[in-house]
Amino acid sequence: MLIDLKMAWRNIWRNPRRTLLTMLAIAFACVLLVFMLSFQFGSYDTMIDSSVKINTGHLQIQARDYRKDHDIRKVIPDPQPILQIIDRIPQIMAATTRASAFAMASSASRTYGVMVVGIQPRSEARVSTLGQIITQGTYLTAQPDDQDFYGALVGRLLAHNLRLSVGDEVTLLGQGRDGSVAAAVVKVRGIYSSGMEELDRNAMQIPLAAFQEIFSMQGAVHEIVVVGHALSQVPRLKADLQQRLGGLKDEPPLVVLDWDELLPGLRQAISMDLVSGAIFYLILIMVVAFSILNTFLMAILERTHEFGVMMAMGTRSGRLTRLVMAESAGMTLIGVAVGVLAGVLLTGYFQVHGIDISGSSELLRQYGIPSRIYPRLSLLSITIGPAAVLTITLFAALYPALRIRRLRPVEALAYL
Amino acid sequence: MKPHLIKSFLVAGLVLIQPWCAWGQEEAQGIVQGAFDHYRGKASEATVEMVIHRPDWERSMQMDVWTRGAGDSLIHINAPAKDRDNGTLKKGRDMWTFNPKVNRTIKLPPALMAQSWMGSDFSNNDLAKSDSLINDYEHTLSGTDTEDGHRVYIIKSMPKPAAPVVWGMQVLHIRDDHVILSQEFFDEDLKPVKRMTGEQIQMMGGRMFPKVWRMQESDKQDQYTLLRYHRLQFLDHLPDDYFSLNRLKNPPEN
Repeated sequence: MLIDLKMAWRNIWRNPRRTLLTMLAIAFACVLLVFMLSFQFGSYDTMIDSSVKINTGHLQIQARDYRKDHDIRKVIPDPQPILQIIDRIPQIMAATTRASAFAMASSASRTYGVMVVGIQPRSEARVSTLGQIITQGTYLTAQPDDQDFYGALVGRLLAHNLRLSVGDEVTLLGQGRDGSVAAAVVKVRGIYSSGMEELDRNAMQIPLAAFQEIFSMQGAVHEIVVVGHALSQVPRLKADLQQRLGGLKDEPPLVVLDWDELLPGLRQAISMDLVSGAIFYLILIMVVAFSILNTFLMAILERTHEFGVMMAMGTRSGRLTRLVMAESAGMTLIGVAVGVLAGVLLTGYFQVHGIDISGSSELLRQYGIPSRIYPRLSLLSITIGPAAVLTITLFAALYPALRIRRLRPVEALAYL
Repeated sequence: MKPHLIKSFLVAGLVLIQPWCAWGQEEAQGIVQGAFDHYRGKASEATVEMVIHRPDWERSMQMDVWTRGAGDSLIHINAPAKDRDNGTLKKGRDMWTFNPKVNRTIKLPPALMAQSWMGSDFSNNDLAKSDSLINDYEHTLSGTDTEDGHRVYIIKSMPKPAAPVVWGMQVLHIRDDHVILSQEFFDEDLKPVKRMTGEQIQMMGGRMFPKVWRMQESDKQDQYTLLRYHRLQFLDHLPDDYFSLNRLKNPPEN
């Protein structure tokens, strides 16, 4: 056995240039796969994370069916007991309440339909990035200003469409929870740019207290937004919350929705990207496999005479097959090892320094992806690509190795 | 069969039949115009209660309504107290709304015309384009019926080519004394969307008139909006300043 390994090792280096090229092909495929997969996973995390942080949060508690039509009447009548429950769960980092309604917003010159969102400025800042993306003016305060005007935050595109700047008045006209006319004048305190076009175009934030007064909410809210410490904890947190909320008697019943349910488009965008990525990887692996198959096949054909001699001396074809398999396994393993190492180093470098993608596609921008993406090495992203390369190359080596069994010593000897 | 196919067959059918039924069409046109004149009059003044009914709640509003010709109307809300003095002015196809709390009139942008009016089953468009039926549609008589000893004309109204319409088709039931019994609205695929029916037809303001109008979306049985006329008076004329932004802010005493 040891002799076989030794022979295999020597055979590998009998034609060093060919061997090196094959190994490089394998290594290169591995580097690419490790890097690309880490990059993809990293960008998905960034995508989810930034979407979650800009608006939806990890989890939301809402009245059942509120999500379907955003009917202003489908409320959480009293958020206090729920907030107390949330306070007792240590895995929850922050939570805030919101209420929202469709209204006409008009400036001095124009009128648009907007989603007016009532927020609690202080706890909102812990849940979302709203406080950090203000480009003009300042963040919201819960109190009205000295002229008794409540403040409002508007998205960059909405501000542009309504020709608004900081300090301008906006008239809101909509319908309250009781069906009455809801009207108010608020003053723009800040303009923000979230990078998510839909949000920047359609939303206006005002203090929750003002919202509840204007829209006759009687203390009710529509959403309780919850953020945990990490994305991976979300499923457990959701189950926990659901169980604890079960103890409350609420009409209508409340539901807990996770980011996946709140942003169905995001999951679709990710799986679409993943599928197109998978096709690319498959093609890459196939190309590598064929180049390896070619190398191995050449080697066997070239060594027909040699195999003939060995068989004439009494070597069984099974042993020869094992020998050839050992050679290809050795070559593949070295290639994969080098590839994984180089891939991890390369990815590790970018994991620290990030990759600038400021010129990237619309799709990403819609989900508020920042201009720098950090690939993320994980056990999965390191192993899945190389494992695929390993399996496929070993299968590719099987065919030439099995051809040896068909060799006849006399004919092989004559082959030069 | 695909809806647009049905539609093109209908259109093709109409085109083929046209020469022979020009008389029918003219008659239908006359019936619709007659009904329209009957319920709008030259001008009118009314007190109306609007009831918005939903499965889990109901809400009622009182309002004064002035109309003139086919194009102009002014609506002023009297009750509930919370909504008092809100108003809507319609002139031609433009609409403004006034709210006393913010003391501002706002002109409704085209993008918001499909929104519901005051939370009811009527859209802003239903109000703004009330004369669209006369100007933008071709009417054909598709059948007659008898009800309470009256002849009822069933009229199918298809939009004229390139007319700026909201509906793909309307079907009207008009009694021989010009009372509109129902008006059903269909989308572009000719699927029914909503239906307005006149109920409790009686003498009002010197004419036979449905005291209650009911607007209901086709697939929702337990939600509807009622317009109940408490007082209706037809006038020969209302002055221009009734239908002005100034009047919207300072409504006339009814």
